[in-house]
Amino acid sequence: MSAAPITTVKTVVETIEDSGAGVKLFSLVDPDHWELPPFRPGAHIDLHLPGGLVRTYSLCNDPADDCRYLVAVKREGCGRGGSVKLHDEIRVGDSIGVSLPRGGLDLPDDIERFIFVAGGIGVTPFLSAAAFLKRTGRADFALHVLSRGEPPLRRLLAPLAASGHLVLHDTAARARPELAKIIGRQQCHIGLGCCGPESMIDDFEHAAGDWPAGRIHIERFVPPPLPVDPNAKPYTLVLARSRLETRVAPGQTMLSAIQSLNVDIPASCCGGICGSCKVNWLEGAPVHRDRVLSPAERARSLMVCVAGSADDRLVLDL
Amino acid sequence: MLDTVQQPTTSSHESVVPSWTGVVRHLHLTPRAFLPMRSMPEIVLIAGKGIEGDRYMIGREQGFYSHKPEEGRQVTLFEDETLVALKRDHNIDLGPEEHRRNVTVAGVPLTHLVGRRFWLGETLLEATRLSIPCRHIEEITGKAIFDPLINRSGLNCRILQGGIVRVGDAVRNDA
Repeated sequence: MSAAPITTVKTVVETIEDSGAGVKLFSLVDPDHWELPPFRPGAHIDLHLPGGLVRTYSLCNDPADDCRYLVAVKREGCGRGGSVKLHDEIRVGDSIGVSLPRGGLDLPDDIERFIFVAGGIGVTPFLSAAAFLKRTGRADFALHVLSRGEPPLRRLLAPLAASGHLVLHDTAARARPELAKIIGRQQCHIGLGCCGPESMIDDFEHAAGDWPAGRIHIERFVPPPLPVDPNAKPYTLVLARSRLETRVAPGQTMLSAIQSLNVDIPASCCGGICGSCKVNWLEGAPVHRDRVLSPAERARSLMVCVAGSADDRLVLDL
Repeated sequence: MLDTVQQPTTSSHESVVPSWTGVVRHLHLTPRAFLPMRSMPEIVLIAGKGIEGDRYMIGREQGFYSHKPEEGRQVTLFEDETLVALKRDHNIDLGPEEHRRNVTVAGVPLTHLVGRRFWLGETLLEATRLSIPCRHIEEITGKAIFDPLINRSGLNCRILQGGIVRVGDAVRNDA
């Protein structure tokens, strides 16, 4: 008998490939090479690492490649420790629990052309999207990769270079290109995507300011800082299924309040961008501060890492 | 012109003999929690244990609910008619690989079988309880199917006599 509930997908590390520019490529598979839960192009998963670390990475591979999850990890020596652990401690054959895939790019059929702009390791979700688009016969896209010197993941980029879809911008050799020129003027048949460091995202959002939000996909490396609400009030948080409740103090996150009740909940970015801690709410008036839920999803769900409550009482389906 | 139809006159419960014959439409299993169910042409049922290779086989226990052991959950069934009803009543497309039960049957009144024995191909099963829907299926499928599946989420069974079950096998009452 299994003593504890199984909360993650069990995978083992099949291969680890040095992919240049401080990046390692991890291939995760089921122990019996069974199919893994399906994913959308550029979706992301949480890796549950030894020591309790949970880190979110985009999937690089084609969703049709359904027996493995391919994640590229850049070693960030000054980061929060997840990438260092993966680079320095994880070996082929190790087990890693992962979450179900979430998110990904919306690539609707009525969009005829896509322009993707990636900063360095931010290329990962677009590698998955590019593979999907090529396989499904929708070859009208361009992938711009901005990097200082050698771009990461050369091997995975090579087929896109050969097919003329890749445009490399070496920002060590010349000035960063103007994103407005890459994007061009707004056209209803074009979709945009951007993933990279915060400064690049800011420039991209400025350059695409007049584009409809529904045709822009943005992914961030790190969550933006949550503004402090000087008018925050305490509220009662009720966990309906657990039959527990607690008072959430002003400035305290809903996530920490739940954790204080010893209720286990997956969380990763703690900034409302990864989607790991999504929970359905039942009663009350949530204040949504995440960057991932659509208006329709917010009618049912919230992200406990950043959400608050406008009422004195909020009930979660937890 | 319609002929006159006579209502049966008996009201005795003892005289009601269940009369149905069903068929196995689909077979699925998966070795671990969260993984997709794989369509199989046949599955092997082991008496008192479960399905070879499935996550809920007793002794294997790698399912989402394996931390809650249940001797009567050796094989699970689901009505094909429920998939039709989900589309008809809720406009939800749910495939036989998505409901996460092992055997999809047609023409079998699963909700009537709790506590009864019946034949699934060459195997003899005893229905232990109705399955209940769970949020886990919504998490995996991304489809809002919890409420529509209340009271028609399938049947849990114990395996009394093992054997091989194939798609197309008959399902019949143990008279």
